[in-house]
Amino acid sequence: MDRSVAVWVFAALSLVVLMALPLGWLGWLSVSGEHGATLAHYRDVFTDLALRKALWNTVVLAFWVGLVSVALGAPLAWLTARTDIPGRGLIRGLVLASFVTPPFLGAFAWVMLAGPNAGILNTLWRSVTGSREPLLNIFTMPGLIFIVAIYTFPYVYIMVANTLALIASDLEEAAAILGAGRLTVARTVTLPMVLPALASGFILAVLQALALFGSPAILALPAGFHTVTTQIWSLFQFPPKVEQAAAFSIPLLLATALLLQVQKRVLGRRGYAAVGGKGGQRRTIPLGAWRFPALFACLAVMACAIFLPYGVLAKAAFARAWAQPLSRDNLTLGNFTFTFFEYGATRDAIVNTLELGVMTACVGAVMVAVLSYVTNRRLVVGHQLVAFLALAPVVVPGVVLAVGLFIAYTRPPFVLYGTLWILFLAYLTKEMPVGYAQADATFRAIPADLEDAGRVLGAGRLRILKEVTAPLAKSGIIAAWCFIFIGVIRELSASILLFTPSTKVMSVVIFDLKEEGQFGAISVLGLVMLGLTFATVALVQAALGRDVLGTRK
Amino acid sequence: MPGVILKSLSKRYGDVGAVDGLSLEVKPGELLALLGPSGCGKTTTLRLVAGFLAPEAGEIWVGDRCLSSPASVVPPERRRMAMIFQSYALWPHMTVAQNVAYGLRFKPGLSRGDREARVREMLRVVQLAGYERRYPGELSGGQQQRVAVARALVVEPEILLLDEPLSNLDANLREEMRFEIRRLHETFGNTTLYVTHDQGEAMVISDRIAVLKAGKVAQAGTADDLYHRPRTRFVAEFIGRTNVLDGVAVARDTVAHGHLRLRVATADLEPGARVALSIRPHQLRLGEPGAAAGGANAFRGTVRRAAFLGDSVDYEIAVADSDLVLRAAAAPTPRFEVGAAVGLRIEPAACVPLAESDPR
Amino acid sequence: MSKRSMALAAVVVAALLAGLVVAGDAQTQDARLEAAKKEGKVVWYTSLVLPSAERVAKLFEAAYPGVKVEVHRTGSQRILQRVMQELQANIKNVDVVHTSDAGHFVLLKDKKLLAKYTPAGVDAFPAGFKDRDGYYYGLRATVNAITYNTKAMSAAEAPKTWKDLLDPKWKGKLVTAHPGYSGVIATHVLALVHLHGWDYFKALAENRVMIVQSANDPATVVSSGERIVAVNGGDYSAYQLKKKGNPIEIVYPKEGVPLVVSPTAITSFAPHPNAARLFTDFTFTRECQQVMADSEGLYTGHPEVTYPADKPKLNELKLLTVTPEELEKRNEELKKRFVEFFGA
Ligand SMILES: Nc1ncnc2c1ncn2[C@@H]1O[C@H](COP(=O)(O)OP(=O)(O)OP(=O)(O)O)[C@@H](O)[C@H]1O
Ligand SMILES: [Mg+2]
Repeated sequence: MDRSVAVWVFAALSLVVLMALPLGWLGWLSVSGEHGATLAHYRDVFTDLALRKALWNTVVLAFWVGLVSVALGAPLAWLTARTDIPGRGLIRGLVLASFVTPPFLGAFAWVMLAGPNAGILNTLWRSVTGSREPLLNIFTMPGLIFIVAIYTFPYVYIMVANTLALIASDLEEAAAILGAGRLTVARTVTLPMVLPALASGFILAVLQALALFGSPAILALPAGFHTVTTQIWSLFQFPPKVEQAAAFSIPLLLATALLLQVQKRVLGRRGYAAVGGKGGQRRTIPLGAWRFPALFACLAVMACAIFLPYGVLAKAAFARAWAQPLSRDNLTLGNFTFTFFEYGATRDAIVNTLELGVMTACVGAVMVAVLSYVTNRRLVVGHQLVAFLALAPVVVPGVVLAVGLFIAYTRPPFVLYGTLWILFLAYLTKEMPVGYAQADATFRAIPADLEDAGRVLGAGRLRILKEVTAPLAKSGIIAAWCFIFIGVIRELSASILLFTPSTKVMSVVIFDLKEEGQFGAISVLGLVMLGLTFATVALVQAALGRDVLGTRK
Repeated sequence: MPGVILKSLSKRYGDVGAVDGLSLEVKPGELLALLGPSGCGKTTTLRLVAGFLAPEAGEIWVGDRCLSSPASVVPPERRRMAMIFQSYALWPHMTVAQNVAYGLRFKPGLSRGDREARVREMLRVVQLAGYERRYPGELSGGQQQRVAVARALVVEPEILLLDEPLSNLDANLREEMRFEIRRLHETFGNTTLYVTHDQGEAMVISDRIAVLKAGKVAQAGTADDLYHRPRTRFVAEFIGRTNVLDGVAVARDTVAHGHLRLRVATADLEPGARVALSIRPHQLRLGEPGAAAGGANAFRGTVRRAAFLGDSVDYEIAVADSDLVLRAAAAPTPRFEVGAAVGLRIEPAACVPLAESDPR
Repeated sequence: MSKRSMALAAVVVAALLAGLVVAGDAQTQDARLEAAKKEGKVVWYTSLVLPSAERVAKLFEAAYPGVKVEVHRTGSQRILQRVMQELQANIKNVDVVHTSDAGHFVLLKDKKLLAKYTPAGVDAFPAGFKDRDGYYYGLRATVNAITYNTKAMSAAEAPKTWKDLLDPKWKGKLVTAHPGYSGVIATHVLALVHLHGWDYFKALAENRVMIVQSANDPATVVSSGERIVAVNGGDYSAYQLKKKGNPIEIVYPKEGVPLVVSPTAITSFAPHPNAARLFTDFTFTRECQQVMADSEGLYTGHPEVTYPADKPKLNELKLLTVTPEELEKRNEELKKRFVEFFGA
C-alpha cells in the first residue's frame, strides 16, 4: 500500500507539472476575459478571415500529407516486405534515415533544391530544356505537402511493413487455391488485412502534419499562407495575443485527440490476433522483369528524402554561394569557422541542446522504465491509469504544449520561462509517450516468471531487479533513451515559443539563421544535427541488435 | 522435511474470488497434485504458497512457521521453496550452469567449489552433463525443462512448487518427463505441490490429488479414492468418465429413477431425498438379453451406438422403459451390433451415491 | 580574415590614442572599466545583421579584454517580443537593446524600461539621431533600396522607382521582407504609405511577391537568383553582398528612400549597467562607427565618419523619414494591412 502511495504521489506530481498545469492554463486563458469567463477569444479567432484560412490550410495540408504518405509508404512496405526486390536492407535503412531526419532541415534543403528560380533542380531544368518556367516550385501548397510527406511516409511504411510481415502467405495461398487470381487475392485478402494498418498509418501521418511547425514556417510563409501552427506562433509576436493563441490551440488539441481515438478503433476492431499466426511462412513474390524498375522507383523516392537534400546541405556548407557551382573559388571553410568560432550563439546552443538532450533522455528513460515496470508488473492499484497518463501527451501537439507551458510558467508560483527547465519540461512531456511505448514493449517481453523464479530461489526484489530484470531490459531502455534524445535534439515546434536568447537550442538557431538567410551556417548546423542523430541511431541499433531477448539463437 | 497446511485461504481479484476459503494439507515428503479446470484458482493457490500473493483471509503454515496470513507475508525469497514454471522462466542472459547455480548463491557456507560440484552433479542427474555453457535459447524444449527442474532441485528446497511444468512439451516428451519427475521425487523426497489440469498426469505423478473447483477443494484423496469414491458430481465427471443419473432414494440402500430401481453401495440414504449416482462405464456388465433377467440392478436395453477402440468397445445403451442412456465400456468379445438388444447388470458396489451437492 | 585583424589592430591603436587624449577622464574611466570587468559581460539584443553584430562584439572585446559581449541577433519585432515576454516572466537579461524600429523605443520609454544615458560624443550627431529626452540614440542608419540581380537584367532594364515595381512583368520575380519581423521594413512600409498610399502595396501584392522575414534576406534571395528584384531591404546588407562578389546592384529610387535610423538604448533594469555604458560608448566612437561605415556599408550620425567611394552620400539622397511616435502608433496597422495584402 505504501508503495502505491509513493508511486501515485510521483505520478500525480509529474502529471500536474507536465500536463494539468499547462493545459489547465491554456483552457482557462482561452475563456478568460476582463470580466470573468467569455467566449470572445473563440469568436475573435473563428471570425477572423486570416485565421480561418490558416485552419483550412492545415486541414488541406494534413489530409494530403496523409494520402501522399500512404501512396509512398504502402508500396514501399509491400516491396520490401514481400517481394524479391534487390537492396531491401538498403531501402529499409533509407526509410529509417528519412524517419529520423528533422523535417525542417529537409524543408530548408528543398528551398535550395526547388526554389522556383535559384533552386538547383530548376536551374538544371532550365539549362537542359531551355524552358523559362521552373520545373518545381516548393513555395506552394503542393510543394509543402510533398516535403512534409517525404518525411512522414515512414509512419505508414512501418505500420504496413510490420503487418505484412505478420500475415502468413498461407492466408493468401488459401485464397489462390480457391481460384482467386493474383489481383483478386490482393484485393480480397491482403488489402483488407493491411487496411487497419493503412488507415492507422494515414492517421499518424495526418497527426504529424497537423503538429508540424518548421516546414510550414519555411515554405508556407514565403508563399504567403499560414497554417495553424505558424499562426499560433505569430500570435505571440508583439503585442502578444496569448488568449487568442490559446483559443486557437484548442481545435488542434481536439482534432488530435479525436484522430487518435479513431486510430485506436481502427486498430482495435479487426483483431491483430488473426494476423499474428506464427506458424505460417512468408514467401517472397518474384518481381521478374520488374525487379530493377521497382528498385529505381524506391531509390527515386529516397533521393527526394535523403540523397538530394543531404547533398545540397553538404554543398552549401562548403560553398560561398550555394546556388553557384562548387568551383575552386566557391569552395570555403568559412561557414564552419563562422558557425563555430565567430557566431557566439552556436556553441551555447549546441551545449544547451546536448545538455537538454542528455538530461531529458536520462530523466525520461528512468521515468519510463519505472512507470512501465510498475504498470507491467501491476505493482500498484490503478496501474492502467498510470499507463494512460504516460501515453496521454501524445494528443498534445508541440506548439500547443508550448503555449500551455508558456502561460503556466511565466507566472508565479513557478516562473521557469527563461531557464532551460521550461524546455526540459516541454521535451520530457513530448517524448514521454515514445519512451514509454518503447520501455513498455521491453518489459512486456520479459515475463514476470523470470523474476519470480529468482525470488523463490532466495533473491530479494532489488537483487532480482539488478541481476535479472536490468540485464534483460538494458538494451530496450537504452533504445528508449536514444529515442528520447533524438526527439529532443530535433525539437522545434515547442522550442520556438519557449526559448529565450540565453536558452537557445540548435533547432531555434537554425530557424533564426533561416529568417536571416544565412544558408551556409544553417547547413553546417544541419550537418551537425544529422551527425548527432545518426550516431544515436547507430547506438540504438547496436543496443537492440545484440543481447536482446530471443536473438541469441 | 515439513509439510504444508493451507487454512481457509481466500484471494479475490476484483469481483472474482480466485481462491475462496481453500483448506488443504500436504503431508511431509508427499507429492500432491492440484487438479482442476482452467480458471479454478490453481495458479493463484500456488502463488499464495510461494508468497507472491498475500491472502485476504486464511493462513499458510509450513511445519511450525506461519508463512502467510492477512497480517504478514514472508517474502518468497525467505520461504526456502523452489518453483518450476510453465514457461520454465530460464534467464536467457545466463548459461545453463549459471541458471542452475543461481539459487546456491543464497545458501550460506557453500564454497565456490561446492557450488560447482553440486551444479555438475545435478546436471548429471537430469542428464544434461556437458551442456553447462549453453544458453537456454540453444536448448530444445525438453532440455530447457530439465534445466528448470535442476535449478529448482539443486537448492534442496523444503517445498517444491510446479505450475503445469509439462504443458509446453509434446505428447511423447510429456509422457517421458512424468516418469522423470516422479523418479526425481522419489530420489529427493521433497514436499511437492504440483499444479496440472491433466488428470492422467495427476494420477501418474502424485501421491494424492486435490480437485479444485471455483477456488475450493472439491475433494482430496488418492487417485483410487477419487476414481472409485467420488463425493461430488463434479469430481466424478472430472476424474475419468462416468454415467451420472439422478434419482430419489426409496430405501436406505435403493434409488429410483423412473421405473428403475438401483441398489447402491451404501445403506445410509435418507428415503425421499434426491440422490445422484455415479456409475463408471466399465462397471456395466453386458450380456445376452435373457441372461440379465432377475437379480438386483439387472436391466434390458438396446445398443444405440458402438465404437471399437482396440482393447475395448465403447457402447451407448438406451435402457428399456426409461429415458436413461448409459455408456458402457466392454471387452471386444462378445460384440453387440447397433440395434441389438442387450441385458445389463450393475454391481451395487459400482453405484456410488454422490451425497454432497457441488459447491456453487 | 586579415582585413578583419587589421581593422581590429587599428581600433586598438585608436582606442589607446583616445585614452591618451582624454587623459583627464582617466580616473573615472578606470573605475568604470573595473566595474564593467567585474560584471564580466554585456548582453546585447540587436537587429544588426549577424556578421556585423559579431564583428562589433569582437572589436569591443579586443578593446576591453575581460568584458564579453553576448550577442543575440534577431529581427527588430522579435527583439521587442523577447524583451516584453521576459519582463512578463520577470527575467532581467538584456542590457542594451538595439532595433531598427524607432517606435519600439517610444514604447519602451513610455513603459519606463529605458535608462537615461547619453553616450560620449553624440552631441555632434544630427537631430534625427537623438531622442529629445535623452534615452536613445541612433547607432546607425540605413536606407531602403531596390536590389536586382545583374545576371538577370541590364541596368537599363532594372526598375528605377518604387512605382516601376508595380509593372506586371515582375510578376513572380519580386521578394519582400516582413514588417512583422523587421523594423527596417516597418519603417519602409510607413514611409511608402506616406508617399504612395496603401494602394501601392495592394498593387504590389498583385505581383505575387515572395515573402521573407529579415530586411537582410531580400538581398540574399536576389543574389541566389531565387527572385531577381528585391522591393525593399537595408542597402547595407546588399552592399556587403555586392562587395563579396555577388551579382547584385542597388537602385536608390528617385522618389526618395526611406531612412531607417536604428536606435540603441540601455535598459532601466540592466543587470550589467557599467558594461552596458562602456559598450554603448564604444559603439558610438568614431572608430566603431567608421568600421560600420567601411566594412558594413552602414550610414551613421557621426560627423567625422567617411564613407566608401562607391556608396552615395546621405546628403545626395532624397530621404523619406517617419517619426518614431507615428511608427509606434501605427505598428499594428502596418502589420495587419501588410498581412491582409500579402497573405502571411
Ligand atoms: N492478476 C489477475 N487479475 C485479475 N484476475 C485474475 C488474475 N490472475 C488470475 N485471475 C483470475 O482468477 C481466477 C483464477 O485464476 P488462476 O490463474 O489461479 O487459474 P488456474 O486454475 O491457474 O487456471 P489455468 O489452468 O488456466 O492456468 C481466474 O478467474 C482468473 O481470471
Ligand atoms: Mg494456471
